[in-house]
Parts: sequence; structure tokens; C-alpha cells
Amino acid sequence: MSTVLKMVPDKRREKGLCRSGLTLRDNRNEVLARTEGSGCYNGLTNMPLKEADPIFFEKLASRIRAVLVDARETAKKIAASPIVEQEGELCFTLYNAAGDAVLTSTGIMIHVGTMGAAIKYMIENEWERNPTINPGDMFTNNDCAIGNVHPCDVATIVPIFWNNNLVGWVGGVTHVIDLGAVSPGSMSNGQFSRFGDGLQITCRKTGVNDEPLRDWLHESQRNVRATNYWILDERTRIAGCHMIRDRMEEVIAEVGIEVFESFGYEIIEDGRRGLQNRIKSMLIPGKYRQVSFIDVPYKHEAMSTPAQYAKVDSIMHSPSTIEIRADGSWKLDFEGASRWGWHTYNSSQVAFTSGIWVFMTQHLVPNERVNDGAYYGTEFHLPYGTWMNPDDRRTGHAYAWHFLVGSWTSLWRGLGRCYFGRGYLEEVNAGNSSTANWLQGGGINQDGDFHAVNSFEPAASGAGARAWADGLDHAAAIWNPEGDMGDMEIWELAEPLVYLGRAIKTNSGGAGKYRGGCGFETLRMIWKAKDWAMTFMGDGYVVCNWGMMGGYPSSAGYRFAAHNTGLKDRIANGESLPLGHDWDPDSPQWEFSLGKSAEVIRDKQTMATEQPFEDYDLYLNLIRGGPGFGDPIERSCRDLEADLNGHYVLPRFAAAVYGAVAKQDAKGAWQIDDAATAARREAMKRERIARSMPVRDWIKQEAKRVAAKDGSDQVQHMYASSFMASKKFLEDFRAFWSLPKEWILRLGEDGVTGFGQQSIPLDSLPDVRRVVLVDESVVAPEDY
Amino acid sequence: MGNEQNVVEVMGIDAGGTMTDTFFVRADGEFVVGKAQSNPSNEAQAVIESSIDALKLWDRDIDQVYPELVTSVYSGTAMLNRVVQRKGMRVGLIVNRGMEDFHRMGRGIQCYLGYSLEDRLHLNTHRYDEPLVPAERTVGVTERVDSQGDVVIPMREAEAFEAAEKLLAQDVEAIAICFLHSHKNGKHERRVVEICREVLAKHGKNVPVFASVDYYPTRKESHRSNTTILEAYAAEPSRKTLHGLSETMRQQGGKFDLRVMASHGGTISWKAKELARTLVSGPIGGVIGSKFLGEALGYDNIACSDIGGTSFDIALITKGEFAIQKDPNMARLLVSLPLVAMDSVGAGAGSFVRIDPYSQSIKLGPDSAGYRVGVCWEEGGIDTVSVSDCHVVLGYLNPDNFLGGAIKLSVERARAAIKKQIADPLGISVEKAAGGVIEILDQSLRGHLRSMINAKGYNPIDFVCFSYGGAGPVHTYGYTQGLGFKDVIIPAWAAGFSAFGCATAEFEYRYDKSVDIAVPPSASDAVKQASCVTLQEAWGELAEKVIEEFRINGFAPEDVLLKPGFTMQYLGQLNDLEIDSPLSAVASVADWERIVETFDETYARVYARAARSPELGFGVTGAIMRGIVATKKPRVPEEEDCGPTPPAHASIGERPFYQQGRWKTAKLYHMEALKAGNVINGPAVIESPATTLVVPDGWSTRLDTHRLFHLREL
Repeated sequence: MSTVLKMVPDKRREKGLCRSGLTLRDNRNEVLARTEGSGCYNGLTNMPLKEADPIFFEKLASRIRAVLVDARETAKKIAASPIVEQEGELCFTLYNAAGDAVLTSTGIMIHVGTMGAAIKYMIENEWERNPTINPGDMFTNNDCAIGNVHPCDVATIVPIFWNNNLVGWVGGVTHVIDLGAVSPGSMSNGQFSRFGDGLQITCRKTGVNDEPLRDWLHESQRNVRATNYWILDERTRIAGCHMIRDRMEEVIAEVGIEVFESFGYEIIEDGRRGLQNRIKSMLIPGKYRQVSFIDVPYKHEAMSTPAQYAKVDSIMHSPSTIEIRADGSWKLDFEGASRWGWHTYNSSQVAFTSGIWVFMTQHLVPNERVNDGAYYGTEFHLPYGTWMNPDDRRTGHAYAWHFLVGSWTSLWRGLGRCYFGRGYLEEVNAGNSSTANWLQGGGINQDGDFHAVNSFEPAASGAGARAWADGLDHAAAIWNPEGDMGDMEIWELAEPLVYLGRAIKTNSGGAGKYRGGCGFETLRMIWKAKDWAMTFMGDGYVVCNWGMMGGYPSSAGYRFAAHNTGLKDRIANGESLPLGHDWDPDSPQWEFSLGKSAEVIRDKQTMATEQPFEDYDLYLNLIRGGPGFGDPIERSCRDLEADLNGHYVLPRFAAAVYGAVAKQDAKGAWQIDDAATAARREAMKRERIARSMPVRDWIKQEAKRVAAKDGSDQVQHMYASSFMASKKFLEDFRAFWSLPKEWILRLGEDGVTGFGQQSIPLDSLPDVRRVVLVDESVVAPEDY
Repeated sequence: MGNEQNVVEVMGIDAGGTMTDTFFVRADGEFVVGKAQSNPSNEAQAVIESSIDALKLWDRDIDQVYPELVTSVYSGTAMLNRVVQRKGMRVGLIVNRGMEDFHRMGRGIQCYLGYSLEDRLHLNTHRYDEPLVPAERTVGVTERVDSQGDVVIPMREAEAFEAAEKLLAQDVEAIAICFLHSHKNGKHERRVVEICREVLAKHGKNVPVFASVDYYPTRKESHRSNTTILEAYAAEPSRKTLHGLSETMRQQGGKFDLRVMASHGGTISWKAKELARTLVSGPIGGVIGSKFLGEALGYDNIACSDIGGTSFDIALITKGEFAIQKDPNMARLLVSLPLVAMDSVGAGAGSFVRIDPYSQSIKLGPDSAGYRVGVCWEEGGIDTVSVSDCHVVLGYLNPDNFLGGAIKLSVERARAAIKKQIADPLGISVEKAAGGVIEILDQSLRGHLRSMINAKGYNPIDFVCFSYGGAGPVHTYGYTQGLGFKDVIIPAWAAGFSAFGCATAEFEYRYDKSVDIAVPPSASDAVKQASCVTLQEAWGELAEKVIEEFRINGFAPEDVLLKPGFTMQYLGQLNDLEIDSPLSAVASVADWERIVETFDETYARVYARAARSPELGFGVTGAIMRGIVATKKPRVPEEEDCGPTPPAHASIGERPFYQQGRWKTAKLYHMEALKAGNVINGPAVIESPATTLVVPDGWSTRLDTHRLFHLREL
């Protein structure tokens, strides 16, 4: 520690903004050096404040947190967007002068890190000198290249000053409804790079003396579609930040600036230790390997994109190793992940490392006191150039959640095995659903206004099964355990789309002894709209959440839309109408209630760019279910009966997957014949044995196909991109499949698209210092 | 103690799950409280027994007293228990075809309502309750009305007939109807009511039919449908009970009309159409009592605080009015009943205290020892330290006089538990640990109190703080310290203050209706004038409903004092602010401007000046009408000032008392023996059977002529 201090005496004379006289950048470097040297945040091998008076420490923590929660609750009411007001997609966080998160409100926890990354970027790139940081300033950021998840998460950041020294920051973020991207909605669709992702603001100074600057207001308001929402969202963020800043000034006046500053460092070390203790008591040391995949379906004609080279079907690859050590430290390693691509599903390293806490807090650390201590207590290896840490400044991020949600579901399984092993059955969860579909669109709405929409119904997707009970139906999202689908009447205020149905989606939860929670489906009819267009977004070809211990994945998504439906006449004539459930998409029924010339789209292409919709056209918003736990043939007959009678499972699946022998009584109620079912299940076990083969033999058989590169284009493209960034993964792959040393699959070789293998890093721009917060080391194969 | 000249005028009834309390007030303001075991199968019996228990303190019996009574107010938990235990009526539900699942799906938020913050994050703990109406008794009818009230799909009557037949075949005891946007256009719902009645008549059945538009015509279908279903499911059985109780009282000579405490803070008749709003009433009694005292004593702005064993409830009275929450939740259901806005924190005197094993920090609650007090009461069978244990160790509570000595507490048991569970793990002394717990709790309560005041755009300096509830006065100094309240007041009857409050409530109906008035910034005068007409029409409609309710109870329209209000927002916002109308009627452009001005000022105060958005235009989202008739209320006690020195017999000894890191000696007083005008300087503890007022060193309290203690830091 002392050596670090000796290195900087000259800079003290420059009189930086910190109380020590250091510049913000030197201050942060010192914090990092002390952390590195000691293994404890900011060198805090002791915690003087907490140790001297644990009660005072606790009081201060609860007081500050109450301010954050309170500001969020109050500010939320200013917003107009249902995303913020109904779904609670906003979050306020307090940072210390180094930009590390001290405490956060409730809300979307991912932003603890993303706003911190923006602050660190300002610190590293010396905003202190230019554009300067003064009391009353406001900064706005949503730049994905420096850590934001996707551009629609817009942050307002306000510095906290005391006696003209910067002593902390407060940040507030809202998920806005439209960003002026190539297509309407918060997570636009169809672009393949940053240049279509919408307005991106890089830590810009947008206010002075607590007032937004007029040039900023004029420029930003005309660059988005849903301007009224934009205006009120910004006011929500500003009001919350100012409330918090003012209350922090009171706290400082009361406890003294020294105590306030020390607290801001100690509580982070406290958070780091808390995580370590949790790991020790809940998990089992060892290495846990898992993998997940999700689709990149850009080739289909429904994805109209201006560049031919982006018209590629591929698959995201997310192999991971959780390494848990006896001392409670751990490492999350994503070596072997596929490369960034020409789509909008890339993620910045911070979105990945920070976002992971949104689901860790649902089981490992269900604690309101999560701060950057959790980040400092976790080693991440995210190789530079992968989709979760792109080495290119052109990457698109609008729907980063597609990959993040797909990737993290395997971590539930990894940790679930730990909990199961230690006997914490109540913590086991088979994984998250893929939170989709995203209903988005825009045009002229029912009030005659130019408008964009973004339904947040996926916030109540089906949850994964537990090791002791079914997953909750229509209840949560990985990014927000406090899920809610909202009232239809509120969505209809925001969207010119009347509901013709909102129903539990039969069969959407993964089968299992405990089944995954079902999602739901809402059928919308376009109504009183003009020049209206909509998109689809979600998984369709690849299911990411596989289920656990014999449980099945949830059902994959599909797309349903209908144009030229003839519904106007059918309504007038009192004829049958498509309403409620799309019971079994393999035996569609709605089509019988449409006009003869109706054009119906029903396929697995669940990513689709803007298609025009007219009044009386239909759009299905299908909200996915969660994965199952345990072998379905162990499910109790009574539970299965309830599933059938409650329309959670289709009868043909009850028979085929669960082995149920069931019949309906005179009133239509299902009854299961227990004895016949038991016999059927025994027979199923024998059938399983009959078609099984030793794993060793199966691997041999498949290895021949691998050696011959006998795989689909998507699979080849995925592996080729993983090999490019990881020698280790390539070697492991060769060893697993017993392939010859020279075997390789490259992007650009026969049949494998390879456009854009050369990367253009952000810091190739003049005057840019990238903030690196993970181990991003890459050892590429020499022979690639 | 009895005084035959002093007639008993007011009776309050608090029928809880285990005990039924009655509260009688004499014309001179004196009151008595009685208790009896609750009897869910015969509530009237419990009320009679409780009355006998109370009145024996005055040597009187119910035959004499009931005929004297001019008013009686009931509040109880029977309806709530019926909902929580899902023991309501067999209701059938008619909704839009295609939306048959929406009620049983619930809203996602209902699977973690009532959870602590940590459990809200902890997904595996979430759970849905059973729906009030199961899927098999939910039937769809094809129709659609859009958000502007226009018909998208006309209602298919044949399906409505089928639906009614189907439900009747299932022997439903009531039918509820809720179509989307019926608050904007209720024609379809009303037609289905007619159809149901036709079908009922055909079968010779008499089953009540409830259409959401006739009950709760406000936007948000989960709130509206839950509330309408509750009306059928839970309120109708209560109506029978209340009718029975009313009859019993009449048989005992009562000449008054029984009124029921309602969530909006007024009382309504048991005959009221919307009885579901009496579902939750208990905790708001104190707020009503505070408002009443405030009016009597001239306090305009009051912060009401109530600590019991499990929660800390706070509410604000500003400019003489409490705020109303329009879309609250009750019994883990979203409802659209107006509810006195209260902020409830899951921390009270019985909260458990633990050390978080991961962070080595003190954690309070969210669970609590409840009636089992803490480790200090051996028979309670608790082995986790509670806040009460800390109080006992620090000398705040008298171990021999808890609940008037009904149970004996062990200081040693509490000490040993605190040492083992809290002090040793933190490496501090037992006193420091126990004192720390109290400080953390006080600070958290103080923070909430302050937040609530700030969130309304006020400062504590503008407020008088009322503190009541059994455990309130032990903490009063702690959670008010440093906030700068104008005055801090503890009624000597703090433990019975909620029951007192119910007895002071107005006879008041309140009706709400969603309206959609949008006035963009560029709007012409004609638009503003038309907006006034729309609002005035809505007020007219609501006023009729209010007057009709009073007519059922025999009041003439001219007896009713009408108070209009509205909810307003900047155009496009989802939230709105409730405003008491500055005008009793609106018609002109000038009236409109006045309304806008009132809203703008309120908005700037509640949020921030920078958050005002007049450039978006203004919207009125709801019309509100309240109607009040004059009723008899208890009087505020009035005693003669006997000077600052307490009578000798009020002093009951001394006790060691830990404060600010050291032991001191507190003087002990018997609360009931203190006289008006007496001043007590801390450290002192003033004890009564049901409550304890702590006056720490450096603090002083004075009992005024209304038996209110004023607590201040010297």
C-alpha cells in the first residue's frame, strides 16, 4: 500500500477532485492497487469503522439504503411508461468516488455495474479535465461499448460534492420504451451492428446547475419515437438522483465526511466477505461444467437486414466452468464461448458480470445489500472477442438479453447441483425460462399519435421447477424475480392492440417429476392503428433451458400472426372468432375462425423484423415456460390430473411423456387410472433400456460425424467461432472426440460464413482508454 | 366509579380473531374497555359479553346503557379471515371469452405481496394463493370494449344465457361479472346482469348478481374484478352477521344504527351497497382518532405512528385530511378500494433479532414473536431474541408489570439469550448489544417516518407526531429524536387508541369513478370548458350514489355534506395525484385553470419542481365524491390542571435504566395516577397495564388537561 502512495506525490499537486487532492483517476488506481495487493477491497484487511462500532455501521447502511429505496418508489410515480411504472424497470445506486457501487435500491440489479462502468469510464478518460465535473452537473449514458446492457437502459449520473471535493456519485437508470433505432421499441430488431441500435450517448454532460441543457433536450427528444415517455423517464431519473444526493449531503453533515467516505469503501469489502461466507456455507468446492445454446436466426426472409453478410443462421455457445475453492473464492470461466457476431445479441463484459447478480440474488445471495463487493469477490474470465466481451466497436447490443438469458440458465443447473449436494433442496431451481416473446412495434396509435410500444408481459414467464415443487406459473423473469404481467387494461392504454385472449400456455412448462412453470399467451388484434408495424423477438429453434435431473426443457417458442383475417365481417356476422388459447399448435384451431383469404404465419422463426399490420390483423404474444426437474414418469398421478384439468399439460403429452393413462368423465374432468399408469411407466422404462446404448459407443459413433464435419451450418459456424478465440477449447474438443491434432474448423472455410474476422477495438479510437474489469486473456490456436 | 348522570353515548367494537374488544365513551369523555373471547359463529354473543365486561367497571349493565347509546361503530376481522382462509361464498364469474384464465392467473405481483424485501428477491419462496373463483366456475362471454369505451365486438347474448345456465347448474351462491374496460362502457355488463336475472327467475332462484361497473368502475381489471368478487365472496356473509348483531342490539334496547369502519376512513352502514370496503379497517382507527384529536385541538398536520408487536404503521394527516390509496392490496389481492394511505414496516416490539451469519450484521425481523413476547417469557416457548427482550434487559419494560402483571418476564433469560446470540458474536457487551438493537430499530422507524413526510413534499417541522399502539410509547423518543417535530404527543390511552379512533369516525361514503379527461397544452377554451362539464357530470353521478346510500339510512339529501375531489396527472403519466377540489362545482375556463393550478402546486411539492411537466398538458383520471352526515362522537377528555408536581402515590419506585452507553436510575410512575399538568423529567418510566412511556435522560414530558403526554428533548 505504501509503495503505491509513494508513486503519486507529484499528482497531488495538480489538485484533483478527491479530498486527498488526487485526481479521480489516480484515486481509482490507488484503490485498485490496494485491492490487488491485499486481496481485500481497497486494502481493507481490517474494517475499522465496522469493528469499532458494528451498530453504527449497520445504522448507516440501513439509513442510506432506505434513502435509495425511497427515492425509487417516489420517482417511479413520475414516469408514464408502464415499463417503469408497472414493471419497476428502474434502479438507483450510490457509488463511492472510485465508481464502485456502495448500496443500491430494489429494481434491476444489473445496473449496479453498468452505471459504475460509465462512472469509471469518465474517471479513466479524465472527464475531470474536460468536460469537467462540477456540483449540479448531470451526465447521461447508455453506451454499450462501455458497459451498458442495451441502449434502452438510459442512465442519469449525478456527482455528490462536499466542500468542492467529489465524494461519490448517484446513478439512476430507466428502461425507456424507444431509442430511435432502426425499428421501434426498446430492443429494436433487424440491425446487426451498433449503427442501427439507436441513439447512444457516451457519458455526456447533459445538465448543469441541476438543470438539463437545452441542446441536449432538443437533440435527444427528436431522436426517439415515444418522446413523452422519454421526457418523463428522464425526469424520473433526475428527481430520484437529486433526492438521493440531497439526502447524502445531510448524512455527511451528520456523520462527517471522513466517516461517510470510509463507509463507502468498507461496505464494499463487507459485501465481498459476505459473498465468500455464503459460498462457503452453501456450495461444495470443485469444478462445475455446463453449457447452453440459443439460436441466431438471421437467414430467414422474415429478418430483413440491409447487409447480406449478416444473413447468417448460427447458435450462441456458452460453455462455462464454475470453480469453487475451499476458501470461498470462486471463478466463473467462459473459455470457449462463441465470438461476437453480426446481430444485436452481443453483451459488454460489464453487462455480463453485473447482470449475473440479478439471478445470484434469487438464491445464492438473496440480500438487499448487494454491491460491488460481489464483483470483487468473483473472478471472471471472459475472453476478449467473445460475444460477452466483444473486441470490436461495431457490435450491436439491442437484444443482449437473448444471449444473457440463454447463457445463464445453465448456471442455475451448475449451482443447483451444489445446493442439491449439500442438501439445500429448497434452493434448487432447474433454470430460468427464455424471457420472450417481445412484442414491439410502432406507428400511429389509437390517439392519433406517433408512438412505439414494448410489452413487458415476459416479466411473468414460467419459473423453473424446484427440487420439491413445480415451478411457479407465469411469475418471474431471470432479470426480475418480482415479475408481473400487468393489467390488460393498462397495456391497452399503451398499445393499439385489443386482447382477444390471455390464457395459461398449455404445455409450455418443461415436463418433470416437478414440472416447469407454464408461461401464458395473449392474442392481440390490431385496433385503431395506422401505418402500424410490429416485430417478434425470442427463441424458436433452440431451447436454452434444459431441465435438471431428468426434467425436460420448456417448450420452444413459435410465431403466429394473421393478416387479412376477415374478422371485421365475422364479428359483424356473429361467426366464431379466434379467442383465448392456441391449444395445440400442432393442430391449429384459430385458422377455422378466420376468413377464407386470411394469410396466416405459423412457424419457428421467432425473430422477425417490422411487418406491417392493419386493423383486425392478429399477433400472438407467447410467453415462455420454465424447465422441469426430475423424471416425468415419477410425477404423482394427482398432480398430473390437476395439470390436465387446469390445462397445464396437453393430454397427448400426458400420455407420451408422463405415461399417464387417463380418461374424461361425463363432465369432461380428467381422471387417471393409477394402476394402468404404473404399468405404462414400467413399460416405458423397458422401452428406454431397449433403445439405449453405452455412452462410449455413442461417442464413437458421433465422433465419425464430427471428424467429417457432418453438422448443420449453424453448428459448424458456432464451433468455428468458438475455436477462433480459444486454443484450449479447440484442444479439449479434439481430445473429447479423439480427433487428429490437425483437425480444425475455421470461419470462412467451405460452407462456413466468415465475414468480419478482423476486429476494430474501441481503444483504436483516439483518446479512448477502455475500462477492463475482467480477465479477458485469449490464447488463440496458432493454426487457426 | 359510576356516575348515573353521565350517559354513555358511544360504543366502539373491535372484533378480532381471538378477542372482541368493546370501548364505551361517556358524555364527559371518560371511557372503559372490555374484552371477551371472540365467537365467529355468534359474533353478537361476544359483543354482549365484552360489553358486560367493560360496563361492569362503571357498575352498569347493558340493559341500561344500550338504550342510551347514540352511535356504535364496528370493526372486525371476520371478513378478512374469510378471505384469507378461502371460506367465502361459492361465486361464479363471467368474464370475456378468451380471458377465462385471467382471474386464476392472478397478477404476478400477487405471488410475493406481503413479502419482506429479501424474500421478494428469493424466487423459490414465492407462491400464489388459491383463486377466489376456480376455473370451473369461470365462464366466458364474447364481447370486447376498447380503452376508449367503443365496442369492438358486440356482446353475444346467447353466450350470456348459456353462461348463466352453466353457473346455476353448479349451484353458485353469487355471480360476479367483469368485462374489460366496463368502467368506460358498462352496457354489456349491465345487459348480462339482466340476462342472469332472467335465467334466475326462470329457475326460481335468488342469487345476487354483481357487475363490476356498478361497484368499482375504475381502470385495472385485476383490481376491479377482485373487488367485485370480494363483494360477493366475503362481504355478503358479513352483511348477514352485521344484520344479526344490529338486531341483537335492538333487542337489548339499542336505538342507534350500527355503522362499520371502512377502508376509506369513514364509517358506513351495514346496509351499504359496497360492503367489501370494510375488509380492512383495524390499523386505520388510530389515523381517524388522530384526525379527530387534531380537529379538536387545532393540529392541521399530524404524523400518526403506531407500533404493535409485528409492525410499525405510519400515516400522514396534511391540512386536516389523510391521503387515500386507490389501488391497494389486501389479503394478498390487488383491489380497487380506497384505503387510508399507510406505510407499514415489518418491524415491531416483537420482531426477532438475529446476527446474519454471512455478514455478521444485526438483522431485525421480518418475523416476530407475536403474543409470545420473547425469550424473557419462558412459557412463550421462544428461543430467539426479540426486541422486547432488549427492552427488558435495558430496564425499559417492567418484567413484573407486563400486561398489568398478567405474565412475568425473566430479565436473566433475556440477558443470557442476548449474550449468546447477539453480544458475543459481535464482541460487545449485553447492554451495548441490546441498546444497539433498539437504536437500529428506532433509526429504521425514524427513517421511514421521515421518508413518508418528505415523499409528500413536507418537512417534519410542519408536523405534530402522534404516537400510540401498545408498544409505541416505549419507542417514541427514539424514532422522533432529531426529526424536529413541532410536538410529540402520546395519548394516555395509547393502547386503546385505535378503538377510540373508530368511534370518532365520520359517517361517510366515498365513491370513485375513472374518467378520461385530456387537455393538451394547445387546447382551446372550448376543450377546457368541455372538460369541466365531464368532471361535473361524473361528480353528479357519484353524488347521487352517495345520497342514495344515506337515504337507505334515513337521511335527507340536505343532511349530506358533499366534498368533491379528483385525480390528475400530466398527460400520459400512469400515476396521478388525488386532490381535494378547491371548488365545489366546475363549469368555466377559469375553474379549469384553478384546478390545474392546485394540481401543479401539489405536484411540485410531492416530487420536485423539476419533475413538473405542464408542457405535456393535463389529464383528469378520476372523479371522487365524499358525503358526510353529522354524527355523535366521543369528547376529548378535559381535566383540571393540578400543577407540575406528580402526586406522591403516582411514584412507584426506581429501576436501573441503560441509555447512551451507561446505566442510570429511572424513576417509575403509575400512568393512571398522574394528574393533568404533571411534568416528569427523564430518566423516567411511566407504566400502565397496557403501555409504557419511556422518558430518557435529557427528555421531559408533560401531561396536559386532555390526558395527552407531550414529549420533548430538553
